[in-house]
Amino acid sequence: MKRLSRGFYGLAAAVFLAGLLGGCGGGGGGGSSSGGQQFVVAYSQSNNAEPYRAQLNIQLQHFVKKYPDLKLLPIADAHQDSATQVSQVQNLIAQKPSVLIVSPNEPAPLTAAVQQACSAKIPVIILDRSVNTDCYTSFIGGDNVLIGKRAGELAVKLLPSGGNVVELRGILSDQPQIDRDQGFRDAIAANPNIKIVANREGKWLKENATPIMQQWLAQYPKIDLVYGHNDPMALGAYLAAKAANRDKEMKFIGIDGLAIPDGGIRAVQLGELAGTFIYPTCAQQAADSAEKIVHHQPVSKKQVLGTTEVTPQNAAQLYQQYDFSKQQ
Amino acid sequence: MSRRSVPGQTPAATTERDGDGRRPLEPVVAPPRTWRERGGRVLSLLGSLQGYIGLVLVVVAGVLTKGDVFWNQQNLTNAVGAFSSRGILAVGETLVILAAGIDLSVGSILGIGSMTAALLLTRWHLAPWEIVPLCMAVGLFFGFCNGAGVAWLRVQSFVMTLASLTIVRGLDRQSSDNVSVGTQVVDANGQLAPFSAAFQGLGTPGHNILTGLPLPIFGRTGVYYPVVAFLVVCVMFQLVLSKTRFGRHVYAVGGNETAARLSGVNVTAVKIAVFSLSGMLAGFAGPIDAAYSASADPLAGTSYELDAIAAAVIGGASLAGGRGSIIGTLVGALILTLLDNVLGLNAVSDNLQLIVKGLIVVVAVVLQRPGLLISLGNFGREFTRRRTR
Repeated sequence: MKRLSRGFYGLAAAVFLAGLLGGCGGGGGGGSSSGGQQFVVAYSQSNNAEPYRAQLNIQLQHFVKKYPDLKLLPIADAHQDSATQVSQVQNLIAQKPSVLIVSPNEPAPLTAAVQQACSAKIPVIILDRSVNTDCYTSFIGGDNVLIGKRAGELAVKLLPSGGNVVELRGILSDQPQIDRDQGFRDAIAANPNIKIVANREGKWLKENATPIMQQWLAQYPKIDLVYGHNDPMALGAYLAAKAANRDKEMKFIGIDGLAIPDGGIRAVQLGELAGTFIYPTCAQQAADSAEKIVHHQPVSKKQVLGTTEVTPQNAAQLYQQYDFSKQQ
Repeated sequence: MSRRSVPGQTPAATTERDGDGRRPLEPVVAPPRTWRERGGRVLSLLGSLQGYIGLVLVVVAGVLTKGDVFWNQQNLTNAVGAFSSRGILAVGETLVILAAGIDLSVGSILGIGSMTAALLLTRWHLAPWEIVPLCMAVGLFFGFCNGAGVAWLRVQSFVMTLASLTIVRGLDRQSSDNVSVGTQVVDANGQLAPFSAAFQGLGTPGHNILTGLPLPIFGRTGVYYPVVAFLVVCVMFQLVLSKTRFGRHVYAVGGNETAARLSGVNVTAVKIAVFSLSGMLAGFAGPIDAAYSASADPLAGTSYELDAIAAAVIGGASLAGGRGSIIGTLVGALILTLLDNVLGLNAVSDNLQLIVKGLIVVVAVVLQRPGLLISLGNFGREFTRRRTR
């Protein structure tokens, strides 16, 4: 019920805003620099249906609200389709926002759309994935190689005398998969006794990870650590190991660390994962940068965010810090 | 009306006219006397067993390469369990395909079924026997909508179910706010809540039902619900298809809709029924999927319809309708999941797996084609007859 009414208000706000913008259109040239001082922020999301991106949306709404002079248009969801996103970005450009934030679905198709925004003199903030042009104001993203490295360092710490590692990979052609794999392998090279005995593509999905892990459990009598490229895959493997009563003889490491009831931070709290690493949503930095841009303050062209290791000690506190479902 | 491709049913035993209007060959009753006759018998037996050949090849490949690691109860249960929810979708899909339709929405309906189960569990703490019927009702509703669109509004089933694929997925995502819902709810002490523990029996790996009962084969360790549910659904619907008037009507509508209508079959009712049953089965599979992953993902079941169609087609169902069987679909599902298991156990690279799986689909369908091995069987029978004349 709460959700329904929220959606209704969103719709009402959208209609109202559309009317407002339509009215301003005649007045010419953006028309937002008068006494009221409301700066419109538009956001194009590549896919609402990924938990990480759903979290990003919630956080962005939360942080934009902290600046009373910023107004976020309803988030445009491209449903993981680049062509859809291009036309959505063009629609947003037509509404002449003060700042345009884009989470590109793919670099190449979105490049032209970002250039269009640029030539319309709209400042653009790119989140998480790159575009093939320099014509934007700021890029904000996480560092997957670094996160993979930190996960590898945790593996080295957990397996001082070496051991057998199995690796559940994301979709093989995804850049985060390539980076998370690379960083991990670089870090575990520190201990030559740590071996990756098997790795397979789990396509980021929990339901794929479980049967793969069941097959590994049947083949390998000794598995010491499971490295999942995201928390759902690590947890899917955990389910399989628990079913075979072997969950106590191995450690599980994930990535993403979402503060949702079904996410990685909770799993660390429950002792299912030995650790996970927060992949930053960039929402807070995006809101801060938008505020700076509208007030003509400088922002750095490239903002690469670090990660936070979630341990059993800090999990409860981190969950509270990143849980935005109750803070709206 | 053909049921030629029912594995295990000898084509010679089919006495009714088949769909192509050809009368099957008369059964050979004379006992074999010479080695030539025996050879003919073996060939014709091979022809009747063709539906199982793909499955046998996969099992043999598994046993040869991995031996006991492959051929043990635990591994086989795991392999079939991983496919059970898709297998149940495939049974419903087979019903629709038999009636010359296609149902692309089963993956989405499974998704909303799994989300319904997780929400009923986490918000109202319902028991499994309350959750499963409610999820089936949800699936039945969407299946009925598909059937109504196809039968009453005369929208082609591909278009109708393509539309409901996106509609139902949208509802699923809306009801969950795009965030997956975990089914393992713990209390303040870190203990699993009782309602959550009960839900695990629906398919969380390692949680069996009927434990403690002395069961054949399984002993007192109980049985894994997804596997049992899949097999029971298969047997039930095979019986419905082969023993009831409704079953014969499904084949009739798929074989020749006009002829069926002229002979008094209520085509509209049959169409609505098959889509409703397909939706209901997808709703039934929802809680299994949620329990298997211990969470309901807003994207759960995406592209499962393709696996379901593949299982039905490998099992001998014709997309033109009127030909196929549930037992065939069961065999198709087993081929798909055991193949995945064998490739996985042999650490075949992910890219190569995609290629091999695609090739196997084509090979299995060709092997299923009545005429390849049946012609071999016919040849065997002709051969026998000519010699004995």
